[in-house]
Amino acid sequence: MTRELQARAYLAAPKAMGGSWTRRLRGGVLTGLAILAFGAMCADLKLAPEAMLAGADKLGRLAASAFPPNDGGDLPRILKALAETFAMAFAGTVIAAIAALPLGILGAKTVVGQPVLHFAFRRVLDWFRGVPALVWALILVSAFGLGPFGGVIALALADVPSLAKLFSEAIENSDPKPLDGVRSAGASPLMVLRYGLAPQVIPVMTSQVLFFLESNFRHAAVLGIVGAGGIGFELEERIRIFAFDQVVFIIGLYMLCVAALDTVSQQLRKRLA
Amino acid sequence: MTAVADFEALRRRILRRKRLETLAGLLIFSVLLLVSFQRSQFFSSDIGGDPLGRIGDFLTRMVPDLKGDVLLESRTTTGSLYWWFYDLPVWLKLGWQTVEMAIIATVVGAVGGLLASFLCARNLMPIAAVRFTVRRTLEAIRTLPDLVLALVLVAAFGVGPLAGVITLAISTMGGLGKLFSEINEEVDPRQLEAMEASGTGLIRKIRYGVIPQVLPNYASYALIRLEGNLAGAAALGIVGAGGIGIELQRAITYTEFDTYLAILLLIVGMIFLIDMASEAIRHRLMGLGEAR
Repeated sequence: MTRELQARAYLAAPKAMGGSWTRRLRGGVLTGLAILAFGAMCADLKLAPEAMLAGADKLGRLAASAFPPNDGGDLPRILKALAETFAMAFAGTVIAAIAALPLGILGAKTVVGQPVLHFAFRRVLDWFRGVPALVWALILVSAFGLGPFGGVIALALADVPSLAKLFSEAIENSDPKPLDGVRSAGASPLMVLRYGLAPQVIPVMTSQVLFFLESNFRHAAVLGIVGAGGIGFELEERIRIFAFDQVVFIIGLYMLCVAALDTVSQQLRKRLA
Repeated sequence: MTAVADFEALRRRILRRKRLETLAGLLIFSVLLLVSFQRSQFFSSDIGGDPLGRIGDFLTRMVPDLKGDVLLESRTTTGSLYWWFYDLPVWLKLGWQTVEMAIIATVVGAVGGLLASFLCARNLMPIAAVRFTVRRTLEAIRTLPDLVLALVLVAAFGVGPLAGVITLAISTMGGLGKLFSEINEEVDPRQLEAMEASGTGLIRKIRYGVIPQVLPNYASYALIRLEGNLAGAAALGIVGAGGIGIELQRAITYTEFDTYLAILLLIVGMIFLIDMASEAIRHRLMGLGEAR
């Protein structure tokens, strides 16, 4: 009786009733191998517990020296650096959006019907999507000299592939019916774009650009580390001389600014939706 | 008749207000843009003006001087491919180190994020104060840029991959903790209620009620994060936190712009490979999720 019940339950829900022992063995061996590989990687990078403990100890001392945080009498300069960081993020985002617009239109399947071209274009964008802004900034700063200019171009370069992809998706996802409607009313092609396509894609694109502005403000803060000016430069300078009370002050101020920008951009995005 | 007139007046008023709003928005935007360009010295003279010309100039300096007829010759022949990628074995080794950093950090960060996500999910953690604290901590971690954290940790742990792994693990925990807790909150409560009715404790509730529902989603988020961490790990080397970034820094110091491009291409290839592998695994996981 119980046997029969068990068999019926097994038929109804084979996964819930447990696998055969070969499957369990295979799972166990795979898990063991994964743990071994993980251990080997840790050993290869020399992630020893002693090093971690020593570092944690030093980190504790650094943290103790950081309180109470203070501005080191340099508040105007710090505020100026924060403004410069925002300026870099804003300029970089606007340039990226302008550059990504034609690329996004070219990348849309509905615009460029040729599948091979479309595929090649998308792949090239994919390849460069992963390159972080810092990697661009490093070479741009050495090409253009110290200062925020290289940072602006680096942010723009890092954003263009992702924004172009998002733009082309927005265009692909637009509903063709409003376009047909405007066209059937006898509008010129330009008017079709203005009254058929633009109302559909512009809110989507704008909210994506706002999203990138937020993330660029975070990225812009680190570009200063390789010499692109702004708050990152001030931070790096103070970390190098172990002035951690000022470091904590600047990080706190910076986090407040990030929160403020996020709130503003969230409100704007909510109004667009 | 008056109804039409009223309607027209209302329409005109709404249109006028909309136009004013658009105008005000444009004005704010252009002022911000102008100030931004001015502040970021976009057209300032100390880089010699002409930004577009300079970009073109630097792009040509990045392209290596390859010669078609000796492309496959040895490293000592100027103009061959191996001459361009002259330090390939070292770069590959450092590249592998970067991959290892990303993998370890993702695993450690995902485990940390998992613990945190249970502590801040509304349906699993009954104490509001704990939920609030964990949530705020995760938020703070997400605001802090990776590189700032890396700089501080390099100061404490010394130059090397350890500082990089810890940095990435912490930021992964911040990012995944939030995503995981959102998954947790979407868990179907009926299974949990059934277990509660039979008097199951918290740990068993998580093991048998939550994990089977959420595991595919977790894995998919963690794999996406792995892709991001690889790019992050490549950049962290620039501040001395281990991996291929250190070679980028070196190429810049010696103004070898073509070498920089070579390493950059290597990083892009590496990211591309990991992306493909992770996408394949994610698609399989999704397929399994649907089959169930």
